[in-house]
Amino acid sequence: MSDVTQTTQATPAQTTVHRRTPFSARGEPRVWLMAMAVVVCLALIVGIIGLIVVRGSATFWQGPIDEVRLQDGSVFLGVPSVTETYQPQPDELERIEQARADGQLDNAHAFTKTGEPVRRRYFVGNRDLGQESFRWVPLWEVASIEQPKDVVLVERDEWGPFLGRVRTLRAVTDEDPNPTGQEFKPESVSDRELQSAIDTMEARRAAIARIDRTQIPRLQNQLRQLEWKLKAAHLNQERRAASADAPPAWLWWGAMVGCIVAVGGVLGLRKAVRHTNSGSRVPVAILACLLLATGSLAYLWLERPGSHKGMSDDQVTQIEQQVEAERNAILNEQSGLLTQLDDLREEDNRYRIIIEEPSLGRISPVSRSAPDDPMRLSQVVRIVPANDLSFSGRIGVYLSRWWEFLSTNPREGATAGGVYPVIVGTVTLTVLLTISVVPLGVIAALYLREYAKQGVVTSIIRIAINNLAGVPSIVYGMFGLGFFCYTLGGYIDEGPTEPTPVGSWWGLVGVLFLAILIAGACGLFVRRSGDRLPDSASRLISIGATVGWLVAVVLAFWAISSTPYFHGFFEAKLPEQTTFGGRGILWASLTLALLTLPVVIVATEEAIAAVPGSMREGSYGCGASKWQTIRKIVLPSAMPGILTGAILAMARGAGEVAPLMLVGAVNLAPALPVSTDAPFLHGDRTFMHLGFHIYTLGFQSPDSEATAPLVWTTTLLLITIVLLLNLIAIIVRARLRSRMATSAV
Amino acid sequence: MTTQTAQQALAEATNRKDAPSVVDVIAAGKPFPTEVHAEMRNTDAVVDVDQFSLWYGQTRALFEIKLEIPRQGVTALIGPSGCGKSTLLRSINRLNDLVDSVRTDGQMLLNGSPVYAPDVDVIELRKRLGMVFQKPNPFPMSIFENVVYPLRIDGENRRGLLMEACERALKAAALWDEVKDRLKHSALRLSGGQQQRLCIARAIVADPEVLLLDEPCSALDPLSTLRIEELITEISQRYTVIMVTHNMQQAARVSQATAFMYLGRLVEFGPTQSIFQTPHLDETEQYVSGRFG
Repeated sequence: MSDVTQTTQATPAQTTVHRRTPFSARGEPRVWLMAMAVVVCLALIVGIIGLIVVRGSATFWQGPIDEVRLQDGSVFLGVPSVTETYQPQPDELERIEQARADGQLDNAHAFTKTGEPVRRRYFVGNRDLGQESFRWVPLWEVASIEQPKDVVLVERDEWGPFLGRVRTLRAVTDEDPNPTGQEFKPESVSDRELQSAIDTMEARRAAIARIDRTQIPRLQNQLRQLEWKLKAAHLNQERRAASADAPPAWLWWGAMVGCIVAVGGVLGLRKAVRHTNSGSRVPVAILACLLLATGSLAYLWLERPGSHKGMSDDQVTQIEQQVEAERNAILNEQSGLLTQLDDLREEDNRYRIIIEEPSLGRISPVSRSAPDDPMRLSQVVRIVPANDLSFSGRIGVYLSRWWEFLSTNPREGATAGGVYPVIVGTVTLTVLLTISVVPLGVIAALYLREYAKQGVVTSIIRIAINNLAGVPSIVYGMFGLGFFCYTLGGYIDEGPTEPTPVGSWWGLVGVLFLAILIAGACGLFVRRSGDRLPDSASRLISIGATVGWLVAVVLAFWAISSTPYFHGFFEAKLPEQTTFGGRGILWASLTLALLTLPVVIVATEEAIAAVPGSMREGSYGCGASKWQTIRKIVLPSAMPGILTGAILAMARGAGEVAPLMLVGAVNLAPALPVSTDAPFLHGDRTFMHLGFHIYTLGFQSPDSEATAPLVWTTTLLLITIVLLLNLIAIIVRARLRSRMATSAV
Repeated sequence: MTTQTAQQALAEATNRKDAPSVVDVIAAGKPFPTEVHAEMRNTDAVVDVDQFSLWYGQTRALFEIKLEIPRQGVTALIGPSGCGKSTLLRSINRLNDLVDSVRTDGQMLLNGSPVYAPDVDVIELRKRLGMVFQKPNPFPMSIFENVVYPLRIDGENRRGLLMEACERALKAAALWDEVKDRLKHSALRLSGGQQQRLCIARAIVADPEVLLLDEPCSALDPLSTLRIEELITEISQRYTVIMVTHNMQQAARVSQATAFMYLGRLVEFGPTQSIFQTPHLDETEQYVSGRFG
C-alpha cells in the first residue's frame, strides 16, 4: 500500500502503467462459479443416465444360484442380490448370543468388524408355492453355501421363475394317467432329450397361439361385424317407421324453381359484371344468389322425395338371411378350429416336466390349485442352468432375454414378458403426434408472423400460446377426454344426441346463410369503398363484418352439431362398444399435439423471424409474390428451426404420461394400434405406452419388489426410444443446415 | 458558452465565403434549387419521375423529385447518407410498399406505363425490373436455382430453357467460367464478390427493362469492386442501369449521367462529366469536391 503511494508521489505517469485491474473486475471467481454450475449440471445428467443405464441393463444378467443350508438344517435355493448390515430384534440378539455360546458362529462374514450382523437378500422365486419372491437371510444362520451345477432357474409363463432341479420329463399315456408317476429318474434329464422335447413343444405352442390368438379372434370379430350389420339394418327400419313423411310436393317443386332462378340470376349477373363495371353491389348480389342456390340445392338433396324411405322390409329380410348364412359358415369354421385346438391342447397336456425344489421337495405345479400335478412343458419359457454356464453362455441368456423383452407380448398382467406392444404403442403415438402437430403449428406460426397484422390481437394470441405451454398436462388430459373422446368421438359414433327437428334446422341454416351474406357484404364494402368513407364508419362496418363472421362460425358449429341428417358412423355398435366415442390412440395423439403445439409455434415463429430481411427483399425484387417468397425462401431457410421445434415437441410428447392415462393408455391393450388388417392404423384402439407401463410395473403389480428391475429396464428403453426419434430428426436437421451453410463472407 | 462559440463560428464561416454555404442554406430553411442540365431535358426517358414525394409515416423522405432517366448507359444517384437516393431507387420497383407506413404522391412512368396507379400489379411490375442490393443476398439454394429463380417463379420449368438462360446470365455477369462446374453447389459457399455477381446474373436473367443497383460494391473489397464496375460498364451496353453509390469516384468512373440528391431533394442532374467538373450549383461543387457531406 505504502509502495503504491510512494510511486504515485514520485512519478505520477507510471501509476497508470502499474495499476492492476481490480480482482473483482476481472471476474475470475464468477468464471469458477459458472464452471461449478456446469459441473453440477453435468454430474446430475451423467448420474441420472448412468444410474438408468447401469440398473436397466443389469436386469437380464443371470448370476449364479446359491444352495443355502441353514444352521437348523433347512435348505433353499436363491439368487443373491443385496448384502447389508441390520439391527436385529432383541429375541434375535438372544439367539445370536446363544449360538455364540454354543460355538456355532463359524461364518466369518456373518458380522462386520464392529460386530454388526449382516444379512443377505435372496431371490427365491417359486411364488406359486406360497412364498415371497425375496427372502432376507442373516448370514450367522447360514451353515453352508454351495453352487451345485444341476440347479436351474426356470422361467414360466405364470408365477415368475422357479428355482430347482430338473428331475424328469414324461409323457402321460392312457395306461399311465397319473402324471406324477412313482418312478423319478434319480439323475437329471439329459440336455439333448430336453432340447428335442422343447423344440416339438414350441412348434405346438406356436400352432396353439396361432389358433387361439389370431384365427379365433378374427372369426369372433367377423361375428360381431355381422351382428352390427343386422342391428344397423334394424335401426334403419325403425327410423323409417318413426320419421315423418317427405315434405309436400309443392314445397319441393318450389325449392326446385327457386334454385333454378338463383343459378340463372348468378349467371346473368356474372355476365353483367363482365360488361359493366358497376361497383360493389354486384358481388354482394352474386354472393346472395350463390348462397340461395347452395341452400336450395342442399335442401333439395336432403329432402328429395323418397329420401326418408329407409330400407324396405324385403331388404331387411334379405340382410337377415345373408347374415344368418354367413354366421353359420363362421360358426362351422370356428368349431373346426376349436376341435383342432382341443386336440393340440390335449397333446400339449401330455408333456410334463418335473422340477423339484430342495427345501421341502415340492415340484413346480401345473397350477396353484393342483400343487402335486407337475407343470406342462409348454409352461416353460426358458430353462437357465445358472451355475453351469460359461461366460458366453451367460451372454447368450442375457441377449435372449433382451430379445424376448423387445419382441414378445407381456405376460402375467403386464408384469413379465416382453414390451413389444408397448414399444409399438409409444412409437405410433409419437409419430401420430408429430405429424399432427407440426403442420398445424407451422401454419399457425406462418400466419401469425407473416400475414397477421402485428398488433394487440396478435400479442394477446402470442401470450395465450405461451401460457398454453405452462398449463399442467393433466388439464390437457381432461380436455382430451371431455372434448375429443366424448364430444367429438361421440358425435362420430352416434351423431348428434339431440338433433333439431328438420323444420327448425333449416331455419337455423337460413340464419347462418344470412349471417354469411351480411358479413361478406360488409367486408366487400369496406374493401371496395372504405377509402371514400369516414374512418369511424369504415371501422364500424369492419367490426360488423367480424361479428358477422363470428356469428356465422358459431351458427355453423351449431348446425353441424345438431343436424337431423347424421346418425353417426358406428351407431350399430352402441351401446355395447364405443368406437371413437371412447379412449383411443387417435384422441391421445391429438391431445398431446395440443399440448406440444406451443413449442412448435414458438420455435417456428423464431425461425421465421430469423430469416434475413435481405433475402426476402431479394425475392420480392425478383418479382416473387408473398406466397412464393414464403414457399421458396422463408420456409426452406426456417426448416432447421422448425425441425428443432418438432424435436422438442416429440421429446415432450413421448415422455408425457398423465394425460395419456385419461385419454387412452391402458395396462394391457387387447390389440396393437397398427396391424395388417384394413385400415392398418386403428385410431379407435387403446394402446400401451412405455411411460404408463413404467407406472404399471412399479406401482400396480402385485409383486412390485420383483418387477423393480424391469422398471429400470423399461425406463432405459423409453429413454433410448426418445433419443432415437430425436436422433433421426437431428440428423435430418444437420443435413439441412449443411446445405444452408454460409461461407465466411 | 458553447452556443456562443458555435454562433461565432457560423458567423465567421459566413463572412469568409463569397457564395452562401450549404450550412447557410440549411439555416435559412430554403429548399434546394433543382438544376437539370440542358442535355438531360430532351432525352428518351426510361423512367420518368414526375413530382414524386414519399413519406415514412410522418417523416417526409422525398420532396417532389422530377427526374428523367435516359435510356441506355448508367445513371448514378449520389448524395450523403439519408438523402433519399436509396428510397428513390426502391420506389421505382415499389419495394417501399413492404414498409407499412409508406405513403406516396406524384407519379412515375416506366417506359410510359404508370408505376403508381391503383390497378398496377406490383408483382408484374417488379418482374420488369432487376434489382441488386447492397449486401449480396443469394438464396439458400444451388447456384443454378439462384440464377433461374425469377424464371421459376414466373412458372417456367422447361429444363433446357432454364439451362440456356442460366448460362447466358452467368456469362453476362462474368461468373460462368468460375462456376460452370459446380452449378449444383450451394450459392452460399461463393465468395462475396462472386455472390454479388451471382445476384447481378439473377437480376438480368429475365431481361429486365431497367437494372437497379443499390450500392452494389459497398460490401466488397477493392478488387471485387473493380470487377463489378467493369461488369456494370459492360452490362450497360444492353441495359439501362440506375445505380446508387456513396463513392463519388465510382460514379465518375462508371456512369454517364449523375443525379446529386440532398435532404430528400434532387439538387442537380446532368452528364457525369459536367456534374463533376463544371457543376452549375455551388452545393454540388462543394459536395463533389468533398467539402461537405
